[in-house]
Amino acid sequence: MADVLSVGVNLEAFAQAISAIQALRSSVSRVFDCLKDGMRNKETLEGREKAFIAHFQDNLHSVNRDLNELERLSNLVGKPSENHPLHNSGLLSLDPVQDKTPLYSQLLQAYKWSNKLQYHAGLASGLLNQQSLKRSANQMGVSAKRRPKAQPTTLVLPPQYVDDVISRIDRMFPEMSIHLSRPNGTSAMLLVTLGKVLKVIVVMRSLFIDRTIVKGYNENVYTEDGKLDIWSKSNYQVFQKVTDHATTALLHYQLPQMPDVVVRSFMPCTPPLPIPVPRQPPIRSPPLGAVPLDFSASSLRDPASPHHHQRLASAPLPVLATTGVR
Amino acid sequence: MGVTCVSQMPVAEGKSVQQTVELLTRKLEMLGAEKQGTFCVDCETYHTAASTLGSQGQAGKLMYVMHNSEYPLSCFALFENGPCLIADTNFDVLMVKLKGFFQSAKASKIETRGTRYQYCDFLVKVGTVTMGPSARGISVEVEYGPCVVASDCWNLLLEFLQSFLGSHTPGAPAVFGNRHDAVYGPADTMAQYMELFNKIRKQQQVPVAGIR
Repeated sequence: MADVLSVGVNLEAFAQAISAIQALRSSVSRVFDCLKDGMRNKETLEGREKAFIAHFQDNLHSVNRDLNELERLSNLVGKPSENHPLHNSGLLSLDPVQDKTPLYSQLLQAYKWSNKLQYHAGLASGLLNQQSLKRSANQMGVSAKRRPKAQPTTLVLPPQYVDDVISRIDRMFPEMSIHLSRPNGTSAMLLVTLGKVLKVIVVMRSLFIDRTIVKGYNENVYTEDGKLDIWSKSNYQVFQKVTDHATTALLHYQLPQMPDVVVRSFMPCTPPLPIPVPRQPPIRSPPLGAVPLDFSASSLRDPASPHHHQRLASAPLPVLATTGVR
Repeated sequence: MGVTCVSQMPVAEGKSVQQTVELLTRKLEMLGAEKQGTFCVDCETYHTAASTLGSQGQAGKLMYVMHNSEYPLSCFALFENGPCLIADTNFDVLMVKLKGFFQSAKASKIETRGTRYQYCDFLVKVGTVTMGPSARGISVEVEYGPCVVASDCWNLLLEFLQSFLGSHTPGAPAVFGNRHDAVYGPADTMAQYMELFNKIRKQQQVPVAGIR
């Protein structure tokens, strides 16, 4: 506010000072005109000289007056405020060559963009923190000292136990067959074949499901070496979508203390057996009862090609519907 | 190899084969399909040579030797209702050696050539069926990659066909009816093409002026 007032005073004095300069210029030019014109024609020489001198003196007085006026006004105008808020970047705006080096305008745009980015990032992190996807057994906020030093026991399980759990689940569903292998160390890789529709490669870390890839029944799941190919995506968009849903499912079902419950719920399923309920389902992921039924629910909501996926949900997978969740 | 449906599109009233193909491809492009090159399926007919028929006087069987650009390294040999052999391209050379048993029927080579479009997981091929120098009809083939069991995705295929063929949508091909849960294979596609070619061969006596 003070800034505005001081600017107001400056502006008036500025305007007056400018007109004072114009007055000064005109009186100076009158002086020189008078000199150029010389003496006017009068009766006597003294008369002429007197008239000339008087005229000349008048002009000089007016110049003097104007100069004093200008000095007075210039004192009023004052210096430009020292504390302009733009500091050095404001000086960039004074550069007149705008087309070749539009530095100042680009600088402004970059600043606005980074502000917006910060704001959006703040909003996004707020939303993401509401639905924590960390699957560790420790709670947040426990200080480093109080955190238990020992490794979580659910990560170190004998492979035999894992094999048993998997084979038990295998026997639960007639249409589904699970083949377990351990080509890379102790983590199990499951090749789940569902009827004649699809194959799923599930990479596990002891009993936790790490990643899944869903491929078509006719697609090749082995690399040229004959090992299970756990990285390449399916060639069909349908199964790429299903892979996304399966990944959402594995992130949704999280119980760090009881991973075998998780695995049982992940497969098309009976309800999880023991009492503790899995953590509140995240808002984002679709309400999943099972991986295959999931196709119909979320595929219907897919905005990109609702027609396509809607039909997909009903037509190619009646086999799975009978496999069923009840 | 996904489930495939091969059908014939009748030539539109007052238009030539070329123009109908043009119409169809334009519809496909408006639907959003991307052009992905060309395809070619051809068929040659052989009949069993008289010397092998023996005294029963049974009619000679017809054998069709077909190629499909979708499987460039293979050659398909099929009988009308019988087994289908999938061999590599040396089979053609072998047929020359088997001249004693199988003789090629004259002027029997029939083929369809056209463009291949990809739309999401569907592969659509629209081709002009030609026998010698003359165009005889239009073949439309639609393949749905992800599914290998015919009965599961017939409805989806039908709906897709309806979206661009309109009223000319075909009924379920015969090969689908035979085995409900068997895995669909390329041999079934070639059987469908064989039926299509035979139908076109029989229906042909359209006046030549109508074709040009």
